[in-house]
Amino acid sequence: MAGRWMNLGHYNAHGIPGADALGAGIERMVTGITSPADTERGIAARLRYLTASAAGYAAIERAGINVTPRTLFAWLAEERLPNKANQQRLDAAYWDLRRHNVAADLKRRLTTRGGTRIEIDPVDQTRVDPRHRRDLQTRRLTVRPRHWDVAVDAWLTDDAETLDAVWDEVIHDLGSEYDSFAYVSSIGWNA
Amino acid sequence: MYPVAMSGELGADGVAALLAEAKLAAAFDDPAERVRLRKAAGLSLEQVAKAVGVGRQTVANWEAGGMPSSPSRGKYLRLLEGLAQIHPAPAPAQEPHTAVQPQPAPGAPQVQAAQAPAAESPVAREARAGHARHQNRRRTTSTEQVHAELREKIAAAVDQELTRAGGDADAAAGALVKQAIPDVMALFARTRAQARYEHTAYPALPDILRKPSKSDPDLIWEARPSWRHPGFRRHPDGEVGVTALDVNAAYLSALKTWLPIGKLTHTVGGEHDRKRAGVHLITPPVWEHADLPSPLGDREEAGPVWVTEPTLRLLLRLAGPKHRLVEAPVIHESWTSNATETFLDSLRQVLAAARADALAAGDEVTNTYVKAMYSKFVSTLGESSHNRDIARPDWMHLIRSQAFANLWGRAHKAHQAGLGVMCALGTDELHLAGDWRQTWAEGRGLAEMKVKTDRDGQPVTYTVTAVGGGR
Repeated sequence: MAGRWMNLGHYNAHGIPGADALGAGIERMVTGITSPADTERGIAARLRYLTASAAGYAAIERAGINVTPRTLFAWLAEERLPNKANQQRLDAAYWDLRRHNVAADLKRRLTTRGGTRIEIDPVDQTRVDPRHRRDLQTRRLTVRPRHWDVAVDAWLTDDAETLDAVWDEVIHDLGSEYDSFAYVSSIGWNA
Repeated sequence: MYPVAMSGELGADGVAALLAEAKLAAAFDDPAERVRLRKAAGLSLEQVAKAVGVGRQTVANWEAGGMPSSPSRGKYLRLLEGLAQIHPAPAPAQEPHTAVQPQPAPGAPQVQAAQAPAAESPVAREARAGHARHQNRRRTTSTEQVHAELREKIAAAVDQELTRAGGDADAAAGALVKQAIPDVMALFARTRAQARYEHTAYPALPDILRKPSKSDPDLIWEARPSWRHPGFRRHPDGEVGVTALDVNAAYLSALKTWLPIGKLTHTVGGEHDRKRAGVHLITPPVWEHADLPSPLGDREEAGPVWVTEPTLRLLLRLAGPKHRLVEAPVIHESWTSNATETFLDSLRQVLAAARADALAAGDEVTNTYVKAMYSKFVSTLGESSHNRDIARPDWMHLIRSQAFANLWGRAHKAHQAGLGVMCALGTDELHLAGDWRQTWAEGRGLAEMKVKTDRDGQPVTYTVTAVGGGR
């Protein structure tokens, strides 16, 4: 992480690491089943999605659902409902698979048109003593496809270090005060 | 007598005067020379314009080239003549010219030198023309130009869809409604180009503006009214006739509201700052007027609530010396930013003009398109997956509350005009007893009111009767 902020919060500035905001922004682009994980409708939809492919069964296993085929069939036939713990595991497995499946589409959305322009809201300095404040404006810049490709892959594998490295590279384009945008209050884009 | 003498004088001296003016005009034919003389004398455009009796821009035009004959031109030329005597033209600037080119035959540079001040070389002329074109292109566009451009854009989109649908109005309207969100965002971006303030499209939001989940609302109270007069009830043989009215394009009018430009910042307590806007945590005053809906809408809870700028401003106005209808609300906390009331006004004017034209021409396709544009603009301003161009849930709340505050304003106006307010519902519905046409014109314009119609197209009217001892 680029780091002239040394110790963010020392003078009461508030912000989150840019990499976290970037990951959250990518996360916001993922859509899927909206029915809650503890309703019959939500459970049925998740099961249907997870049992439609081999990758789905792999996701079920990764999420730690160890049930007999007999139980799984009973769930699918809606004769029985999974217990609370398994409902949560099903939800986790569903979103895990969903992220993997939409990653390619996210990359396409972010990289067509030569990248996507993002708006960076600087850290919140309202509670900082005026003499310690930095002069920071809202900035916009276009993040290029090569950065998006790496960022989406890193987001998919929860690789915070790579995401951080990508963010450092991205903010280099902001010019001499890029360092001040290592932490941000929010970022947003349209893709 | 006098006019005759005048014309006689003109007849004799007029020719001479005209000749003299033409001579002067020829002498000061070079626009650069006119500029040089004025600057040599240290005069500003305004000073010259005032002395000659024309506008500043006219003098600027004269100095830029064109000098059509006009009564003031003679004065201007005489001024130049006088200035030329004080500041004679410097010896033509061939010295450096000849100095750097001593090699050619001695006759050649002298011929060139003699012609130089009069004739510009073709290359230099081309450069001048290019400069002029560049300046023209750089000139900022006026609001009128932008409005005209956007009106054409709307008309072009309608034409294109009508052509594509082969003249089928319903199909064209359907296609236009589908593309309304990107289209209105493009219009909005165009109206904001070169604007004074740059807004933040994806600000960090305070927790009160975050929805706990996709389907759950955030904490902001928009003050939506849903009010029926408690003193009356609907009765087929009632003594009071009521007409149900609709406000036209309520959300379009509500685009004119105080909107926060940047990220909202937190303040605690204190006075209301008129130059800022946002959401406020207030303890609302008690509403004690049975004949009018509460400006806080159909709120069933008492106690503190997060309200938006339009609601707070309405409450403060009603608490002010002009009305004295309520106690002033107590402001505990605020999330605000610097604000302007004209932020969406350009967009509103463009859409309102397109709507008015469409109504006058009976063009339902354009009308449907415009309606889809402003209503979807408002409904997708927040965190909508249909519109990722902007994420300002605060604006969405403020615009909606403005529409409700506007409806309350109309109810109040009706009440003051002696009409009975029977019902105020949702965004745009107002049921009135009495001759409302004295107060509003009937029609579909923004300032007019429209009679509500039922499914069969019949106007909605009914009668009510007073309940018990009420009223």
